Amino acid sequence: MTATVARQMIGAEFLKLRKKRGMVAWALVLAAGSMAIFISVKAIQHASNPVGYAPAGGTRGLASMLEMLGFFMVPLSAILIGAEAGAGDRAGGVFRDLVVTGRSRVALFLVRLPGALMLTFVVVGIAFGLAVAGTYLFASGAPTPDAALVAKAAAWVVLANGTLCIVAVGLASLVGSRPATITALIGWQLVASPVLLQSNSLGSVRQVLLDGAFSQIKPGVREGEPVIGMTIAAVVVSILAWTLIASLLGAWRTATQDA
Amino acid sequence: MNVIETEGLTKSFGERVAVDRVDLAVPSGCAFGFLGPNGAGKTTLIRMLLGLTHASHGSMSLLGLPVPQRRAEALRRVGAIVEQPGFHDHLSGRENLRVVAAARGPEARPRIGPALERVGLADRADERVKAYSLGMRQRLGVARCLLADPKLLILDEPTNGLDPGGILEFRLMIRDLVEQEGRTVFLSSHLLDEVEKTCDHAAIVDHGRIVTQGTIAELASDGRSELIVGCDDPSLALAVLDGFGGIRDARRSDEGLRLTLAPGRDGAAAVNSLLVEAGVSVHRLEPVRRSLEERFLEITTRLGVEA
Repeated sequence: MTATVARQMIGAEFLKLRKKRGMVAWALVLAAGSMAIFISVKAIQHASNPVGYAPAGGTRGLASMLEMLGFFMVPLSAILIGAEAGAGDRAGGVFRDLVVTGRSRVALFLVRLPGALMLTFVVVGIAFGLAVAGTYLFASGAPTPDAALVAKAAAWVVLANGTLCIVAVGLASLVGSRPATITALIGWQLVASPVLLQSNSLGSVRQVLLDGAFSQIKPGVREGEPVIGMTIAAVVVSILAWTLIASLLGAWRTATQDA
Repeated sequence: MNVIETEGLTKSFGERVAVDRVDLAVPSGCAFGFLGPNGAGKTTLIRMLLGLTHASHGSMSLLGLPVPQRRAEALRRVGAIVEQPGFHDHLSGRENLRVVAAARGPEARPRIGPALERVGLADRADERVKAYSLGMRQRLGVARCLLADPKLLILDEPTNGLDPGGILEFRLMIRDLVEQEGRTVFLSSHLLDEVEKTCDHAAIVDHGRIVTQGTIAELASDGRSELIVGCDDPSLALAVLDGFGGIRDARRSDEGLRLTLAPGRDGAAAVNSLLVEAGVSVHRLEPVRRSLEERFLEITTRLGVEA
């Protein structure tokens, strides 16, 4: 596959996703909408009771917002987009028409990844932009982050959401169903993973959890130590394992299934 | 040159054999009908040819290239619609073509406009496919095939669900693709009338096996030539023709006489001459035109009896 073909195919994937208006609207609601509500509620709380509630912005406010950006509502948009990218061709009955072009099935899978990541980063970028704006607008005299911290936060948000998006693309390609993928990953992200992370009886096994890895490298102010201690090497291995395993399973299924 | 060739092609799903040792040869530059009842194995064979599913046994080639070994190369000049053409309903017709053109390669993108023009969808190309009628979706499917500048188009039941006007339009388009543009069209259908009116060649398939193949005329006649003779004295005519070597069978009918001529013989003139010389007044001498439908029913009835 030449660079031109790859570029055109990635552009086509992006086109398919960005034109899915309902899905894009929901992704924006989950990412930017939830972030706007989060900042507004914190700002109102602080305005009504400055002693009882910290400012919505500032360095500590950014740390709270990163929880939203990396663990809770915003990653759900990455899941929506990834699931659509992974299963959309099958759902539309278009997969077989792409296969009969003679293009390799692995290539058909691989271009889904950058296509989905591009849209995820646009949506998450809007939410991150709101968070950064809120950090400075609602600091109320509290210390504000420097440019280096904002840059680290941006990189972390991109990594966390990008990883989850890739996992969603791989899983959706594997199971061939958007609803099943979205349900499974939202359940995992919002319920199973946090519960498992708090289960001390699991010990170091919890290092395989993505949330554990991302907690370890989350930039900015920390409220206490991460639940599990991980080395940087363990963090890298965990993130790589999730992305590679999901991608390999998705590629395998795309290459072997009857179209 | 044959654009499709299969040899002993077989596909089994567990114990059930969907395609059974099929030997098929599709000559280039024609419309070839692949005719059979629902469930006969037509779509399964097409899916194997296109690499959508694996063959259990046998070999096949597209445009002279063995598949699946050189599948990607072969499919570069093949366009196909398998069952109903699928589209992203939220995209416009033009955008749907852009998606497939991207997979086809850079040379396909400039063909989007001409392909839409060719199928008569240029005016509606920027509307979302969700708003397209079934006929428009079928035409968009053909436009998608044309992005490959195909030597071979494989169309699986392309007229399913179309109204009579849509069927006629589709038939004319297929004939144009063959006659004006020199492409080969492989058309699977369970509609006998459709194949007879659209195609030059056909194969009849049933229970996963090719029963017979050839030109439409050959298939319809089964090599037999029949003649209706109208005359003033059928009894005398039968007696005159008794023993004439150019006739395999002769019997009385409502029209007068119905003769089955011996294979390879053009006996009409000889029959006329014999009867006139014997004093029989002949007022009608008409070859019997059998339709593919009659032949198809004959074949499937026979198969039913054998089964």
